[in-house]
Amino acid sequence: MTDKAIPPCQAACPIYTDVSGYVSAIAIGDIERAIRIIRQINPFPSVCGRICTRPCETACRRSQIDEPISIAALKRFAADQTRGLKLIKRPEHYYDERVAVIGSGPAGLTVAHDLALLGYRVTVFEEQNVLGGMLTQGIPDYRLPKDVVKEEVDFILSLEVEVKTGLSLGRDLSIEGLLKDYQAVFLAVGSQRSLLPKCNGVELSGVITAIEFLKQISRGHRPNLGEHVVIIGGGHTAVDAARTCLRLGSSEVTIIYRRTIDEMPAGRAEVDDAEKEGVNIRYLTAPVDFLGNGNVQKVRCIEMRLGELDESGRRRPVPVENSEFEIKADTVILAIGYIPEADALKDSGLILSKNGTIIVKDNTGTTNVKGVFAGGDVVSGPSSVIEAIAAGKRAADAIHRYLRNLPDKEVEEHLPLRSLDDNVVKLINKSNRQNMPTVPVEKRLDNFNEVEVGYNRNEALKEAQRCLLCGSGALVADNCAACLNCVRICPYGVPVPGREIAEIDISQCQVCGICASECPASAINLKLETREEGRAALQKVIDKARQEAPEVLIIGYYCRYKLPTSLLDDSGIYWLGKLCTGRLDIFQLIYPFELGADEVVVHMCKNEECHFRDGSRWLLTHIERAKKILDEIGMGADRLNIISEEDVSDFKKRFEVLGINPIRKREKVRG
Amino acid sequence: MIVAEIKPFGEIKDMLKDYNKVLIVGCGTCVTVCLSGGERQVELLASALRMARKIEGNEITVGERTILRQCDPEFIDQIKDEAAQYDAILSMACGAGVQGIAERFGSITVLPAMNTRFIGVSDGQGTWVEVCAACGDCILYKTGGICPVARCAKSLINGPCGGSQGGLCEVSKDNPCVWQQIYARLVKLNLLHFLKEISPPKTRPVHPRRLVREDLRLKKEQTKGV
Repeated sequence: MTDKAIPPCQAACPIYTDVSGYVSAIAIGDIERAIRIIRQINPFPSVCGRICTRPCETACRRSQIDEPISIAALKRFAADQTRGLKLIKRPEHYYDERVAVIGSGPAGLTVAHDLALLGYRVTVFEEQNVLGGMLTQGIPDYRLPKDVVKEEVDFILSLEVEVKTGLSLGRDLSIEGLLKDYQAVFLAVGSQRSLLPKCNGVELSGVITAIEFLKQISRGHRPNLGEHVVIIGGGHTAVDAARTCLRLGSSEVTIIYRRTIDEMPAGRAEVDDAEKEGVNIRYLTAPVDFLGNGNVQKVRCIEMRLGELDESGRRRPVPVENSEFEIKADTVILAIGYIPEADALKDSGLILSKNGTIIVKDNTGTTNVKGVFAGGDVVSGPSSVIEAIAAGKRAADAIHRYLRNLPDKEVEEHLPLRSLDDNVVKLINKSNRQNMPTVPVEKRLDNFNEVEVGYNRNEALKEAQRCLLCGSGALVADNCAACLNCVRICPYGVPVPGREIAEIDISQCQVCGICASECPASAINLKLETREEGRAALQKVIDKARQEAPEVLIIGYYCRYKLPTSLLDDSGIYWLGKLCTGRLDIFQLIYPFELGADEVVVHMCKNEECHFRDGSRWLLTHIERAKKILDEIGMGADRLNIISEEDVSDFKKRFEVLGINPIRKREKVRG
Repeated sequence: MIVAEIKPFGEIKDMLKDYNKVLIVGCGTCVTVCLSGGERQVELLASALRMARKIEGNEITVGERTILRQCDPEFIDQIKDEAAQYDAILSMACGAGVQGIAERFGSITVLPAMNTRFIGVSDGQGTWVEVCAACGDCILYKTGGICPVARCAKSLINGPCGGSQGGLCEVSKDNPCVWQQIYARLVKLNLLHFLKEISPPKTRPVHPRRLVREDLRLKKEQTKGV
């Protein structure tokens, strides 16, 4: 394991978002820091928070214990809570070069965003009158409301990005022509031409493509599809089309998919939602013919079984003999696959694959035509938003390097931390995922309102606190004396004696902080909060207290995992939260007195409730030792106390007995 | 390692009563390992001293440094300039470290913050036990790797005194009779014949002892860069 290994969620994200960074910021309620971390890399936090395919969650190591963290839902929370917050400044200087972006989907707008921030004048050309590509035209409002997309698009446009709509590549624009006015061109025209099944009757009226259907809906059309609708396909678009049909009033909506749910490209949660709303899904079923007289009336289907693996690595569906049957259909919606529009690219001089996608030289999107870059679905074929954003980010960097004549970006390795060992897994407390609140099914089907409501603050903090903070754990510095104290006290058994110093495998460390609080050489630091950061946080609270000069100066530490919010209000205590108070070292308990605190209180939870293991026991040990010091120096051990939520009223009484901190008293007299 | 423990706070405070600017120097080797005189303890003692003196209305400036070893002049020299700014140095090392600094700096008072206890090993978390008396004439090869000089209350080297009961030392029931342990170990190792060998009485070392290794000393003709 190298030091460079990163949390698996981050390694799995196509844009390597610092997931652990923003989730841990949410865990301590610092939503602004969270959105800053997200925004730094992702121009579409609200969008991704809703419809990302979440490779991060698949990689999350929490699933070794119970369920992965709801990472996307937390991103959405951070984005929703900070709407309108201006986080990113425009560049101070602009370059002379101009860049044309064709297509305003997530790939194109990401390029526009990143290049605008680098100081380029970008013009985005869009065929439609609405920006956003598939975000606004292909994904229904109940999953991704238009105003959410608009807000993120508007921000990008506010970076002095010019927009020209109603212009189409191949018809109104040519690459050659654009290269006369622009020094680089980025092609992100998507992959929106529907593939049609080889079935008789595909030309019948009532057989439509899902993309065209969803585009119509996005423009506000509400067609009457009849009672019975059959959707062919198993991707996100098929499921979106099916759920849309229910909202248009069709009562019998059936998806037919030739493989099983395990091979289905649509997300499991979406499929569950669709079924809850009333969509029927027939797995291992393929269409044979569309039957009807002018209008489609039935779909003749055949049952399938899974055979050998095909080139995509999935088991090939094979028809089962004599298993044909018919389903009634007033409308058939085709959602089996998409390729780029051939007309747009045919005379472009670009090398295309047999599917019509643009062949690029490497993952930065460099094409065979100088100055022309491409990315998003037009290169990859239909893929996810986050992949499109990733392609846009790589291309923006490549365009900048091309225009500035800079060397190619070095290939970075993104190694994930290895899995948790079984003996560590069994010591980690289980904690259930916070359910995403949704609109009840019975209130969904007569409208296109967003189904998922999003977490409230309490839910978000709780969910974020489930994060194992992978990779934020203990680092051992060279001044380790190899006393092996950490080896002997770690509740998870992670540190081991190394050749010269103790070794702590950061992939296994649970970040409880006990080793750091006990290391006699102060040689262990947690990435989550270094010793210096911990001291600085304390200093800040004390500075604030001294400035406000309360009659009684009480510093209180509390465990953020337990959120004793009733305590935090109006108690007159200057609070400092810690992700488990077991990590408080003795210095943090006595130092406030040196700065004039009259009392230090620590809110402690029951040991069996500790988020980690033994945090409360270690806190007690530290308090006991700190009390001894306070006694010896004449400050009095009574000034340091453990409290529960019921004890708040005792502070004042205790103060009457103890009186003011003798150090502060002297300062006052002198002052 | 050398095992030491911090002196009672009152004693330290008393030692420092005439000084107003003190540099506390921790030691990064033995006393860090036995959790008594490393960087963390330096920080705590410094804060405690500042507070105690503030409470008395007699403020003290306390500097904090930890060096890797106080028993080597080269490490001590790392704090030379800083030390010159203080009235006294409070060493959190063993007695060797205290004297190492005192010897090196000469003109600054060096005070011990620790009581040096013994040469010992860890015996579980938070416990250390004396195992070597540094007698200068090791007989561990014939006592099954258990030192009777350090671990027998009477330092007997030719068998037990006869006062042990139930395997425990008559001087302190907290300790096992080390000769019983030696016997058991020798049985296990099939080396019982060593018990028949008489070890001559050990002469009490004459202090101070000094070790000179002629083979390691720089010869006149060998030069050293400065």
